[in-house]
Amino acid sequence: MKTVVITGATSGIGLETVRLLTEEGFHVLGIGRSAMNCKRAKEHISSHNPNARIVFFQADLMQQRDVLRVAEDIMAYLDEKSGGQLHALINNAGCVRSWYMTTEEGYEQQFALNHLAGFLLTHKLLPALQKARGRVIMTGSASHKGIKIRWDDVMLRRRYNPLTAYKQSKLCNILFAKGLNDRFAHSGIRAYVVDPGLVKTDIGNKETGSLVNLIWSLRKRAGVPPEIPAKTYAFLCRQEPAPEGLYYRHCKEKKYSGQVTRENADRLFALSERLCGLCDDTARQERTKAV
Amino acid sequence: MNVFITGAAGGLGRALANECGSRGYNMFLTDINEAGLFRIKQGLERQFNVTVTTKACDLTNPHSVDKMLAVLDTHGIRFDMVLNVAGCDFEGGFLERDREKLVKIVLLNNAATLRITHALLKRRRQGRPFSIVFVSSLASMFPMPLKATYAASKRFLLEFATALRQELRKDDVNVLTLCPAGMVTTEETLCGIKAQGFWGNVTTAPLEDVARRTIDCALAGKGVYTPGLMSRLLSFLGKFVPRSFVAAVVYRRWHHAQRKWMRADIIRS
Ligand SMILES: NC(=O)c1ccc[n+]([C@@H]2O[C@H](COP(=O)([O-])OP(=O)(O)OC[C@H]3O[C@@H](n4cnc5c(N)ncnc54)[C@H](OP(=O)(O)O)[C@@H]3O)[C@@H](O)[C@H]2O)c1
Repeated sequence: MKTVVITGATSGIGLETVRLLTEEGFHVLGIGRSAMNCKRAKEHISSHNPNARIVFFQADLMQQRDVLRVAEDIMAYLDEKSGGQLHALINNAGCVRSWYMTTEEGYEQQFALNHLAGFLLTHKLLPALQKARGRVIMTGSASHKGIKIRWDDVMLRRRYNPLTAYKQSKLCNILFAKGLNDRFAHSGIRAYVVDPGLVKTDIGNKETGSLVNLIWSLRKRAGVPPEIPAKTYAFLCRQEPAPEGLYYRHCKEKKYSGQVTRENADRLFALSERLCGLCDDTARQERTKAV
Repeated sequence: MNVFITGAAGGLGRALANECGSRGYNMFLTDINEAGLFRIKQGLERQFNVTVTTKACDLTNPHSVDKMLAVLDTHGIRFDMVLNVAGCDFEGGFLERDREKLVKIVLLNNAATLRITHALLKRRRQGRPFSIVFVSSLASMFPMPLKATYAASKRFLLEFATALRQELRKDDVNVLTLCPAGMVTTEETLCGIKAQGFWGNVTTAPLEDVARRTIDCALAGKGVYTPGLMSRLLSFLGKFVPRSFVAAVVYRRWHHAQRKWMRADIIRS
């Protein structure tokens, strides 16, 4: 049985993807930020499918110490239950903020959760992914188009705009996927980005101010149910041999921004390594040994 | 530039530390939260090419402060700026609050701030201008029923700073008082601002702007910085309205907002 790890598994697109993947027979490890939501999600999945193989891990992925802790727990679990192999990692947890708010490290929250958390988690689970010649899937968005990375101020401390921060974090997702392919495709790992389209979830209603809340409440009415994008994740997990594209919507390859260049991907990779503290020598040695 | 920041692991402290980091300033950070200090130090060093030193300290405990000062003295660290950010408040009316917690507001916001300011003035870098920043609040401009102790403690800072500013001018020291209304620093502050409805929204100032302008104002030798047009207007109007009337209006507004806030708190926990 193939194992899949998915973040943001307790609501919206993530929860629906968990349901579909367990139905297709995958063993799913979900990560959720609160124990209560993890419990509720587990009950939801089990009520649909009593035979579902699903385990939840709790972690606030905004905080790097929690990412590191949960990565260790998951590696131990994989060693015990699936011969240390991970078939797919889905970096889906995401948030929207109305204001510039920071994590414990002082990093802007949308950048920290939507991009850095997935970056760090992927690095920590890399040995298990390499063993299984696995896949890494990011939840991106069409909103990554028409924007550039603000290299001189990635956390947008000058003139913070919530939408710019969100769009930029989604461009980071696809640059990271490209960076992973450039580095690890030869060892069998493939990385993808799913564009879920506009989906009816509560993402813009959580921890946001009145204006963002209102706009999202109106906008999401036009969205599709999360069952629709869930199919694309299941497709990318299931397909053999692994698909060769980078950016998918409705199970089909789509065009992405011209900003997705090797140069930008390398630049973001180096910056993210530094911000995640992966730059010290031992971490680097470990990674090259694994490759 | 060497900057000393208290309350550096909290929302405003982190934003100010980021601002200083982006300007290339070296920092000495303190907070009661040792793990938080370690994380912000890591974050700053990974983002900026600066030296960050930290020491956890309970500023309300003189022994703890002495130990921290000993660290400064062993390494001979001297400063050009001190940002007094550490402060606290506990929601609820005077009688609903725990007695010791009430006293703690004054111990931290006032007594500890005096202790640090005095100690840091004695450790300023010679031959250079020195800046002191006090973090007061828009609440310092009005009598604030249901937040009486907090508002009075912030008023103390404002009054003290105005006088000290005059006293130390000859020594090339600038004293700036920051008087913000709401700022979204945590999930709790966000709930608090939402509970205040319209007034919460219009007086909320963007954290990153406040951080940048605070340092700008300190360097430009300003005395008081109240972020946001609406807050400036409120503080201006407040000067012409009888204080007892202000107290009555504030009471009505906070009574309503605090009930809403507390309810949200119960639902969250
Ligand atoms: N909805 C759309 O139209 C749309 C369009 C394009 C892209 N996306 C992307 O789709 C992804 C999923 O969003 P969604 O629309 O399904 O919204 P959602 O229902 O709010 O899902 C977000 C998930 O992330 C989790 N999460 C939030 N903060 C977290 C933290 N600090 N640590 C760990 N987990 C955390 C949430 O946990 P809780 O359940 O506890 O809140 C939830 O499970 C996001 O990356 C989003 O950017 C959405």
